[in-house]
Amino acid sequence: MDLAVEDIAEGVTKVVLRGRIDTTRAVLIELPFNTLAADKRAIVVDLTAVEFLASYGLRVLLMGAKIVNGKGGKLAIVCADNNVAKVLRMSGGSELIPVFEDQDTAVAAVARRA
Amino acid sequence: MTATEPDPRHRMVIKAELAELARLATWAEAFARSARLSANLLFAIQLCIEEAVANIIMYSGAAERREDVAVELMQAGDDVVAIIEDGGRSFDPTTAPAHRKPTTIEEAQVGELGIHLMRSFSAGIKYERRDGRNRLTLRFNPAHAA
Repeated sequence: MDLAVEDIAEGVTKVVLRGRIDTTRAVLIELPFNTLAADKRAIVVDLTAVEFLASYGLRVLLMGAKIVNGKGGKLAIVCADNNVAKVLRMSGGSELIPVFEDQDTAVAAVARRA
Repeated sequence: MTATEPDPRHRMVIKAELAELARLATWAEAFARSARLSANLLFAIQLCIEEAVANIIMYSGAAERREDVAVELMQAGDDVVAIIEDGGRSFDPTTAPAHRKPTTIEEAQVGELGIHLMRSFSAGIKYERRDGRNRLTLRFNPAHAA
């Protein structure tokens, strides 16, 4: 499966990506991810189980964030402090999309306050 | 040479197609295992090869001309050197403008991100145009990749 989608607490949608997000796989994820970004207002992308992230995958995440932000929603990433986080940091991706090490903080960051 | 013999030069030739990238990653992993490289060094090598070769496939015209891309990996003391050769349009990533960290998502261009990641994860990049071919040499260092 390319991406697992789950509605979790507080109207937040969680997207779990796993394994290697190389160029080929990122091309496949692009359309379903954009569709999801167009549909939802609060998205947490869980990259905890992602072992590899190429620039095309990074761009898919940035474009998704752009779609969500454009309608007043929020997108955040959950990622361990590893090489994938280093890719996000070095490219400036983590300055455009908030990155958290734990899910609860990420959910709190995107959830709309009642 | 039979298919079961290891290639002493650690050279891999692929077609200029995105579907070939997975073979390169598996090949780099086997090289890392035999050379006992750290997981961080393997990540840096795989990322830089992926970015360099994906750029060649997507932007150099090599795919349309059904050109091959050749990748070589070798150890140089503690360092690892990767040489990537293609017959596409002349392109020197070392002279590409320095990447500013994008302040807006609109500014984040995929080709530019790839070159920036190569600069960040390798310890050095050298470009040469030789006999009508692009030759990119990337150096990886265990301390730099840690």
